[in-house]
Amino acid sequence: MAPRILAVAEVADGSLTKLSTEVATVARQLAEAAGGEALGLVVDASPDAAAQELATYLPTVIAVTNPAVTSEVVAPHVVAAVAKLIEEGVTHVVLGVTPDGRDVAGSLVGLTGLGLLANADTVTWQDAGPVTHASVLAGKAVTSSTLTGDRGIVTVRPGGVTAEPAASAGTVERRDATAPAVPAAKVLDRVAEAGAEVSLEDAKVVVVGGRGVGGPDGFRIVEELAQALGGVVGATRASVDAGWIPYARQIGQTGRVVKPELYLGLGVSGAMQHRVGMQASKAIVIVNRDPDAPMAEVADLFVVGDLFEVVPALTAEIRARKGG
Amino acid sequence: MQILVLTKPVPDPAAGAERLGADFRLDRAASPTVVNGNDEYALEAALQLVEAHGGEVIVLSMAPANAAETMRKALAMGATRGIHVTDPALEGADMPTTIRVLAAEAKAEPFDLLLAGIDTSDGMGGAVAAGVAAQLGLPLLSSAASIEPIRETETVRVKRLSAKGYDVIEAPMPAVVACTQALGAPRYPSLKGIMAARSREIASRSLADIGPDVAPPGGWATKVLEAEPPSARAAGRVVREPAADAAREIADFLADRRII
Amino acid sequence: MTASPPATGPVRLTEEHLLLRDAVRVLADERIAPRAADIDRQAEWPDDVRRLLAEHDILAIPFAERHGGLGADLLTLILAIEQISRACATSGLIVAVQALGAIPIQVGGSEEQQDRWLPGIAKGEKLIAFGLTEAEAGSDPSALRTRAEREGDEYVINGAKRFISHGSVADYVVVFAVTNPDAEKPSRRLSAILVETDRPGFKVTRLEHKMGIRGSPTAELALDNVRVPVGNRLGEEGQGFAIAMQTFERSRPGIAAQAVGIAQGALEVASRYAKERRQFGKPIAELQMIQAMLADMDAATEAARQLLYTACQEIDAGHDAARWAAICKLVAGDTAMRVTTDAVQVLGGYGYVDEYPVERMMRDAKITQLYEGTQQIQRLIVARSLLARS
Repeated sequence: MAPRILAVAEVADGSLTKLSTEVATVARQLAEAAGGEALGLVVDASPDAAAQELATYLPTVIAVTNPAVTSEVVAPHVVAAVAKLIEEGVTHVVLGVTPDGRDVAGSLVGLTGLGLLANADTVTWQDAGPVTHASVLAGKAVTSSTLTGDRGIVTVRPGGVTAEPAASAGTVERRDATAPAVPAAKVLDRVAEAGAEVSLEDAKVVVVGGRGVGGPDGFRIVEELAQALGGVVGATRASVDAGWIPYARQIGQTGRVVKPELYLGLGVSGAMQHRVGMQASKAIVIVNRDPDAPMAEVADLFVVGDLFEVVPALTAEIRARKGG
Repeated sequence: MQILVLTKPVPDPAAGAERLGADFRLDRAASPTVVNGNDEYALEAALQLVEAHGGEVIVLSMAPANAAETMRKALAMGATRGIHVTDPALEGADMPTTIRVLAAEAKAEPFDLLLAGIDTSDGMGGAVAAGVAAQLGLPLLSSAASIEPIRETETVRVKRLSAKGYDVIEAPMPAVVACTQALGAPRYPSLKGIMAARSREIASRSLADIGPDVAPPGGWATKVLEAEPPSARAAGRVVREPAADAAREIADFLADRRII
Repeated sequence: MTASPPATGPVRLTEEHLLLRDAVRVLADERIAPRAADIDRQAEWPDDVRRLLAEHDILAIPFAERHGGLGADLLTLILAIEQISRACATSGLIVAVQALGAIPIQVGGSEEQQDRWLPGIAKGEKLIAFGLTEAEAGSDPSALRTRAEREGDEYVINGAKRFISHGSVADYVVVFAVTNPDAEKPSRRLSAILVETDRPGFKVTRLEHKMGIRGSPTAELALDNVRVPVGNRLGEEGQGFAIAMQTFERSRPGIAAQAVGIAQGALEVASRYAKERRQFGKPIAELQMIQAMLADMDAATEAARQLLYTACQEIDAGHDAARWAAICKLVAGDTAMRVTTDAVQVLGGYGYVDEYPVERMMRDAKITQLYEGTQQIQRLIVARSLLARS
């Protein structure tokens, strides 16, 4: 059976998410290596714009118009559409690791009994199936895993592959929605919170405030530095538990995993549960009063000093160099 | 309310001794186990719900035989009893099997809510809650930052964390809720709770108790080929200088890497 | 013939022991440690700590469930005292003295007496002290002078006690008094009588200013025609000495636990300091002489700890309890003194000033060689047991 690899895309505000373009690229590259086909899926109340964009990455895109997703959680509807496509011959399903993606993947495993290769940083096609590399045991090991059968599900972390459009645009096939097999919760309200809309995973520069920042006032100088660098502010569990900054900014084992060009940790001791969320960053710079902080193990540059003195000086220095 | 909480004993991340065995499966005997971090948040949420609404919390876990003691902490925190599914045949079980086993066991215990932590710190799967919900045909409310049962309508309302903030979602009970840390820090077991846990039951179940169709005859659906330590970072440089000089050093470092 | 090996076998800390130990440790680190320096400096009874320990059921550990206690074994109590003493010796002593004071009721009291007094003590609402020592009767209890004369259905107690821990804050003091002055054997002269401290004639006449455990009130008590009902006597007349000896079997490990905790606390401060302090271009932890000292401190503390845990098992099993109690207290007390002295040495000048806690720990450690039976008394007990066996 020739592999048919499905990329499940996510839509935000009517357009494709960045991770979806990476997922689509992965699906296409796997299909090429496997000598099979790749296709994409968009489920939304108005899927056309996103579907057209997805078609620049894949030869075929299924666009399911489903008005229910405006008032219900989306995952069960996506699951229904994917299940149908599996019935029609899809062998492998690729999704991004997001709250919805995780729900869809898990539900599919529950419904179909297919195996799941989760949280892949990279995926390649070897011999007869996909091989994923993933970080496990709180970052202590990197495993290569594969499916034992000829079908399965893969979830992919952001930043693992650079999105690459296909040589030529594909076609979009419109379909109606299929009723979900699993009941979907109703959405009563969508609340936007200040400070939550930042995308930590997409940011090139992440400036993190840890316990050493001392309080919400301290986070002001963290924010200023982040602005000067064109980056975003993240937090450790200590800062979040202390109530200085929302949980949406938390980086670590029970928060987000980031791989920016630059991770700048201020007053961060570097507990394992945090390091798991950032140790793959390209460059790591730390400012901390304690030279024995565990963060020293992963820092490229460790400045022993008082962040309340170093950071304003650094912000000024950067502004000066940027000619501002 | 009857609340079932899925817990998974995992190597204690604080102990730092996790290892993969020769067959690349997690060597669970190698390090002290604790309840998976996120599951404790789920457990705490469950305990607070029964404290407010009455009822019981039951913990359900699929784990090797030596992990029963880990459930005792959950009992010490206030869970009424535990169900420990263990069987040598389940060693190294893949996700579809884990989901089938937990779902089969959950079907035997009537509940209003089934809670699980959103991720596990050892295998980083995060899909179990969704899979169990699908197997049981129940609605899933995931990424929960708050859980509110509504008596009058027999529904549960959850604040679901989103990219922009949160969505308020609602579904009829019984339902499955995947819990995040935002629910609130788990309590430390009280001394009285620790002593009371002695007399609370941890029931043991094997595959024979659950049924024949659970483990796949052809072996697991996924397989680990290799495991290596992550590539080491080159040793970093330590700078001990007055603030202005240190700031310049950092700026130079960033300029070298074309970050500024 | 050499000393008997522990009959109960190697020490087994159950999951329950570990959970309990860790729960107390978290509390000690988060709520008690920040108070330790102040408690020492103010030399005031830390009632807030007492309330905290009561709230978290730590004071309930050595009491039976039917009295509102946790019904835990001796090892559990010791684990708690050790963890708290690591942070603050005065606070660890609160648990130890509460336990100590109640033992006469547990070993000598009737069921009715136990039901009457133990629940309040277990809750930590009623504090209890152990009133044996007098100005002229420390190591030598036969020199005890406090008299309890029987008058109808009361005892009239006259005398004075000295160096009574918690004597000024206690609601109850178990007073050891002479009721049978003409008894043939000196060990049959005493009775143990529980005195409620609000009875007329009971007075705190002095509070000691001490080298260490300064937050723990050590009192001189005067009893001037204090009348108590006969029903307050624990056990039979003349059984007081035996009750005291039985008490020590279970209370000495508590002091050993305090000592091990103090040593551990000092060891941790010294190790951390050695890693941070740089001289001659490197952390002093890299110097062999420092490493040797730290190694000896660690080995000694661990040895004292393991001996103490084994002693708890043996004492609970009733095997040669007096010998095990004495031997673990002897080793732990000397260890605490040595380890804290070395900790000050590791910190050098900084060890001598109160910027670091080791000078307090050294001052705190000394008492563990003095009270609950001096080290010399412990040696007599160990020798007696050894020579009787061989």
